[in-house]
Amino acid sequence: MTRPGRPAGPIPPASALWYNKCVDLLTVSVTARESAGEPYTLVEIAGEADVTNTDELRRLLDEEVSQQPRTLIIDLSGLRFMDSSALHALLRANRALDRQGGVLALVSPQPAVAKILRLTTADRLIPVFGSVAEAAAG
Amino acid sequence: MARDGKTTRREPAGLQAPTRQPVPRPDGDAPVPSLPSPDPDDPMSYSYTTDLAAIRAVVHRYAVQAGLTESRAIDLTLAVSEVAANTIKHAKSPGSLKIWYDAKEIVCQIHDEGVIADPMAGRREPSLDAQGGHGLWIVNQVCDQVEVQSDGNGTTIRLHMNLPRRGAGQ
Repeated sequence: MTRPGRPAGPIPPASALWYNKCVDLLTVSVTARESAGEPYTLVEIAGEADVTNTDELRRLLDEEVSQQPRTLIIDLSGLRFMDSSALHALLRANRALDRQGGVLALVSPQPAVAKILRLTTADRLIPVFGSVAEAAAG
Repeated sequence: MARDGKTTRREPAGLQAPTRQPVPRPDGDAPVPSLPSPDPDDPMSYSYTTDLAAIRAVVHRYAVQAGLTESRAIDLTLAVSEVAANTIKHAKSPGSLKIWYDAKEIVCQIHDEGVIADPMAGRREPSLDAQGGHGLWIVNQVCDQVEVQSDGNGTTIRLHMNLPRRGAGQ
């Protein structure tokens, strides 16, 4: 999980719920957590993510990325659907994190979401884990 | 879901009900396979603006009803959603969706007033670094046949999915 040259970002308080936002069918909640002493940010996305709420998703992810987390984990288990616009928001977060030495991980995509990740080969670029615990352990 | 008031069940403006005549092609276009016909007695038509989730629910319901497996129903739902998303991004008026199926295939026809200028749109795999362009590519990956007609009257896209043969096991 640790990479050379990563910036020493501010460490958020453990397990604090930062916010829980709902945009139409999309709910995003963000918490700061810790695994074996390593802090990570957990973003849970639920509902349906498509072009009608991508702007909000992108903005939320930009905000999290700007906090310079070492590890950003996106839990997709509650997400029933994701289109290519929302996928671009994830890819954008991945690029930005990568540039600043952070890591993005995805967790538990449902079949429809797993399908678009596979079709676009995004799942070869961004690691996908079966649980948050596995993702946090790297 | 289809009749919840969000998806208006009406004949979409500017679109003739599919008939047994093939859709006219732009001049000079390569020949295309003859088009299937909907059941004229049961056209399933919806217009949409930004209610993509309702459109997805309708498509998924009919896909399963027609006999697609869950995995293929998800594919068709994704494809229709991507095409309809283009309407929201590029067209200035509502789009329309028409669904029909027979024993062999289910077809979703999406029409809007936008124009696709690039005849190769969706045929090349975009880079993961690209800012867009995955939508139509995904559509071409998951559907058994995709027909695109784009001219001054707008864009009509037909997505075909073959149905599993009855009794063939899935």
